[in-house]
Formats: sequence, structure tokens, C-alpha cells
Amino acid sequence: MSVLEFLANGLVFSSIIVLSSIGLSLVYSIADFANFAHGDTMTVGAYAALVTFGFVGALGGEVLGLPLGFFVALAVGVGVAAVVAVVTHKLVYEPLDVDSIGLLITSIGVAFVYRAVIQLGFGTGFIEFEITLLRPIEALLPYGIRMTLHDVAIVVSAAVLVAGLHTLLQYTDLGRKMRATADNPSLARVSGIRTGRIELWTWIIGAGLAGAGGVFLGLYNNISPRMGFNILLVVFAAVILGGIGSVYGAMAGGFLIGMINQLTPLLPRLGQELPLIPESFGIPIGIEYANAIAFLIMVAVLLLRPSGIAGEEAT
Amino acid sequence: MGDDSNIGRRDVLKATGAGALVVTAGCVSTTDDTATPTETDAGGGGGDDDTATPTDGDDMNEGPYSIGMVNSLTGSLSAFGQRNERGMELALADVNETTINGRELDIIVEDSESQAQSGVSAAQKLVNQDGVPFVIGAVGSGVSLSIYESVIQGTDVVQLSQNSTSPDLTNFPGLLRMSPTGSTQSTALSDIIAEDGYDSVAMAWVNNDYGQGLAETFRSEWDGDIAYDQPHDQGQSSYSSTVSGMANSEADAWLFITYQPEFTAMAQEAFSNGYEAQFYGADSVQGSDVLDNTPEGSLDGMKVVVPSAAVSQENYQNFAAEFESEYGESPTSWSAFAYDCVVTAALSIATADEFTGAALQETVRDVTRPEGQEVFTFAEAMEVLGEDGTPSDIDYQGVSGPIDFDENGDPVGFLQILTVDGHEYTQTGTISG
Repeated sequence: MSVLEFLANGLVFSSIIVLSSIGLSLVYSIADFANFAHGDTMTVGAYAALVTFGFVGALGGEVLGLPLGFFVALAVGVGVAAVVAVVTHKLVYEPLDVDSIGLLITSIGVAFVYRAVIQLGFGTGFIEFEITLLRPIEALLPYGIRMTLHDVAIVVSAAVLVAGLHTLLQYTDLGRKMRATADNPSLARVSGIRTGRIELWTWIIGAGLAGAGGVFLGLYNNISPRMGFNILLVVFAAVILGGIGSVYGAMAGGFLIGMINQLTPLLPRLGQELPLIPESFGIPIGIEYANAIAFLIMVAVLLLRPSGIAGEEAT
Repeated sequence: MGDDSNIGRRDVLKATGAGALVVTAGCVSTTDDTATPTETDAGGGGGDDDTATPTDGDDMNEGPYSIGMVNSLTGSLSAFGQRNERGMELALADVNETTINGRELDIIVEDSESQAQSGVSAAQKLVNQDGVPFVIGAVGSGVSLSIYESVIQGTDVVQLSQNSTSPDLTNFPGLLRMSPTGSTQSTALSDIIAEDGYDSVAMAWVNNDYGQGLAETFRSEWDGDIAYDQPHDQGQSSYSSTVSGMANSEADAWLFITYQPEFTAMAQEAFSNGYEAQFYGADSVQGSDVLDNTPEGSLDGMKVVVPSAAVSQENYQNFAAEFESEYGESPTSWSAFAYDCVVTAALSIATADEFTGAALQETVRDVTRPEGQEVFTFAEAMEVLGEDGTPSDIDYQGVSGPIDFDENGDPVGFLQILTVDGHEYTQTGTISG
């Protein structure tokens, strides 16, 4: 029995949650509504990658146990998710003259449309990338850590994407404009920033990250039409925990929620796993309540810090 | 005033006309190729408003015997309903080819819309209006129970459910069913795992009525140790904690009572974590999607029990062939259950002294039980029975299995054991009991 094993599981799952949360938070900060279609945007990305992988899967070379074709498919998944989100923005959200609650409800409708279209094309069943599943990395086994190269690939890719986003926001012209628009759209506009264009870029980046999250979720689990919707509530918990609208908060929130979700099995046996606590101590709770625990912690954090972990910092 | 009464009368006439039309239409669509009116001998008799159907006296002996069927023609279980319909049609054709001592069988089908309330109305119509002494119904367990409790209980009418599998129905001995209770799977799994020499098992079950029911029976049947006994929710994005938990329980036998996508995710997780264990599963984890999405060889040796028709029996093979030529696809166990319901009903009528609920109650169980000659088809049974056979002369072996209703009105379960070999399911045994 190894705590490290559960921590490793948590790290992989967190990476996927982080990718999804930052996209959601980014869109919230600039488009100013909670996008319930975010989960299904992930699904769109996953299916786009699946189809692409069917064509380019055989592309040679291997990085971290994944054929190069997978990375091409990943890029296509990201691109398709971004295009779909931009088209939706142009066709639906932009022409709608409603407040953020109206947009929120609209986005639920949009989510149903995405999912229905996917079900029309691919059926309601589940499917898998045609990538051979790997066995755990031998070198880590003595430590009780059971990770495959694919798990490492998920974590590394998430880290690269997060670092990239950080660089973009902090050191580029576009990033500065995005932060300005998020802070105060009217002020940004009078100082000469074309906020409409910034909003488009936000959609591209946010939905692209969602697409990447979807592709990795598909690699980690299975691809099915409900995959994105099923994970959406957890992602929302992460975003709100971090402080909605804050990208760095979403990273922290995503990491925390993912970890809590995967560490739940340890709760009934806390005493055996942690030093300084009596052996028999434990919180008797089953793993079916993992999400409930995540939400409880979210509520607790919000009671102490109403704006979330990083709510004050504007990005 | 004059105008008003005029309109009123016209409305009445219209309504009556429409009513008559509906009744007639019902008559045409439910009486199998014969325009002969429905005979109703049993208590209740023909409804008062049933004027479009001329009802004859009790002494009429040429008309068909009418029984009722409540089926899920629409609603969430309509897929089952359609299979039932096909099984019933084939059985009806077989029965009426031989005839029940010269008289045909007629089934009045009503739709339950897969819901308790509509099911009860349908059964009420059948019992009180059509006066049938025998009701086949229903598909959903909740629907069957509601019908039993609000329409059948306290009357002589026989109710035989075609597809309900909830263990709850066992508590109602008056409510018969053709499909074995889901708990037979747990019993069978417990026997198989013990036979394979394991004394400790890790069990993951899906957190709903189905998973809870099967897990509960397994716990009461299993004598060994249950090292891991945890539910999981459907549609989660990660099942790593379930798999890690099972592995850390250090049991060598892992039992999965869950659905296909969830099981697939767990099997993949177990593979990429490098865990090796002997897998067992209930019927809901078996399917080609599971094999397609798991690595070759990762499931080898896994054993699954699935409810099954008596696939090795000749009568099932004939049924399957007939089904295929009629509908272009192979039958499921569910259509076999519906088929057997109709044949059992026909046999109970053939052996009863009179066509009443009380008389049928006396015969319906016995025609399927041992200590009679084993018969495999309706025609064969009628031959053995001859002119004045009694229910104990025959033991009907259905296309779905031996039936043999027990004191709770449950049939003997008939299960197949499938073992994964070379990443394919192969049948390695059958279990009845």
C-alpha cells in the first residue's frame, strides 16, 4: 500500500482537470459568463483527434510511448475545438443581447447541440485511441509508483501548455491586452485595445486548451459523447475554488480538486498512512463520495475566502 | 335550448360511434386472423359498454381462449417490448397450429408505456373489462409489482411476468415470472469463485439498484473473505482509485458488477498499472465493445455469467432459426422468455378443468415442473396429454430453460459461463439453479 501511488494517480488526473479549468476560467474572465458548453468542447476536441488519429496514427517515431501521429491528432483536436468555439461565439453568443445568466443558459443548450451532433456521427458507445496500452515504468515500481509513459506524457504536456499560457499572458502584447480587457473592458477599449478581437483570441485559447484536455482525458480513460459533460462539474468546482476568472487560481484549484478526488481512498486509513496520528484513526467514507468531498472542501474554502484562492489577483 | 339539446345529442352519437369504432378496431387487431368474438367465461364478464362485441353464453366452445398481455410497446423499455412481441407472435403461431383441444389462443395486448401507472390501467382493462383469467406482464419489475398489488392480488387471475428480474419479486409468491431473478447470477458467481479455489475476493459494484442488489446477494452467498467491497458511480472520469483499492486489498479474485464502459476503464487501468488478478463479472460487463477497447490478452481467463436461453436444446435452435427467418436477426433471451410465457399459458389452459383463474392457478405451475414426461414443444405436450391429461403428466422444458417454478413463483435460472480465451468469449459451461 503506497501513498505515492495515489499521489501519482492524483497528479495525472489533476493535469487533465487543470487543462480544462484554465480554459473555462479564461473564457469567464473575458466573455463574462460560465460556459457550460466547455465540457462538450472537450468532447469535440477528443473526437476530432480520434478521427485524425485514424488517418495519421501510423506516422512513425515515438515520444513518451506515443506515436508522432498522436501529437498531430492532438493539434487537430485543439484546432477543431477552437474553431467550433469561435463559430459558436460568432453565431450564437455575440448576436445574443442578454445578460450573463441568459448566456449561461444558452451555453447549456449549445452543449446539448454539440453532444447530439457527436452522437449522430459516432453513436452513443465508447471508443479508444488505437494506441497500445503500456505497462507501468519499471524504474518507478520499487517506490510503489505505477505510472505509464502515457501518464508522464499527460503530465508533461499539461505542464508545457500551462507554462506556455503563463508566458503568453505575462510577456506578450496579446497577453497584456487580455489581462487589461479582463480587468476593465471599457477602460481597455478607450485605451485603444480592440476588445472584440481579444475576445476572439480568448475563445481560441480557452477552447483550444479544453480540446487538449479532452484529448488527454480520452487517452487516460475512454472517448464517449458524455465524457466532457461528466467531468464538467468537477472542473467548475476547481475553477470556483481557485477564484473564478483567475487563470492561476484555476491551476491551483484544478490541482487540488484532482488530488482530493484521487486521494479519497486514503481517508478511511489516515492513521496507518500518516505519522503522528493514532493507527486506528480514519474517516470512514467510501470512494463514491469523492466528488462530494471535493465540493465540501470547495465550500469550506469559499467560506474563508469568498473570492476563492486567487480571487483578488486579476490576470 | 333546442339548439343546445340538438348539439348535445349529436355529440353523444359521435362519441358512441367513435367508441364503437375503437372497440371494433381493437377486436380486429388483437384477434389473430379470426373475426370470432372474444369469449369471456371468467368472472367480470364482458364489459357493459362493450356493445360492439357480441358476447356469447358460457356454453360456447369453438371460440378462442382469450388471455391478456401487458407489454412495454413504448417508453424506455420498448426495445424489450419489441422482442417480447416477436417471441409472443412465434409462440402464438406454434400454439394455434396445434390448437388447444380444437380451440385457438388469442392474446389481447395492452401497452404499459414502461410505466407503473399505465401498466396498472392496462391490466385493469384486461382483467375487469375483457375478463381474462391469465395476464402475461410486465417487463419492468416496478410495473409488474404495481400490477400485482393493485389489480391481481386478491383475485384468482394468474399473473406471469415475462422479463422482470428484480430480486424483490421473489417476495410475492403469487406473482410468477419467466426470467430468473438477478440474484442467481450472484449465487453462480459465488460458486464459481469458490470452485476456482479462491477464499478472498475484491468486489467493485456500480452504485445503483442493480449493483446493490447483486452485491448484497453475493455477500450473503459467499463464505470467504471480501477484502474489498466498494461501490463506484457511473460515468466517472477516473476509476484509478477503485483499481488501486482492489489491488491493495491483495485479493487474487476480482469481481466486477458494473457496466461496460466502467469495466473497460477499470480493465485498462489494471493493465497499465501492471496488476494481475483473476477477473469475474456479471453479465453487464460482457460485450464486444469491452474486447475491442482492451489490450489483447489483458482479459484472458476472465469468467462472466450471463442469463441464457437453453441454447444447446433442439427446441431453442428451432426457435432461433424460425426467429431469424421471420425477423432477420437472432433472438435474445428476452424473446425466449416471452415465447415460454405464451406456451406455459396455453398448457395451463389445456390441462385446466375450466377456463377460469381459479382453475388455471391449479395447473400453471405444475405443467413446468418435473415428475411428468419432459416435453419440449407445445405440440409434443399436447400429444402426451391426449384427451384428458393432467398437469403432472408433463414437464415443459422451455426454449429459455427448464422453468420449474418454485414456491416463490421464480423459474430455475439458466446461466452460461463465458470465459475469455484469446480475447474472445467462449462458452465453458452452464449452470441451472
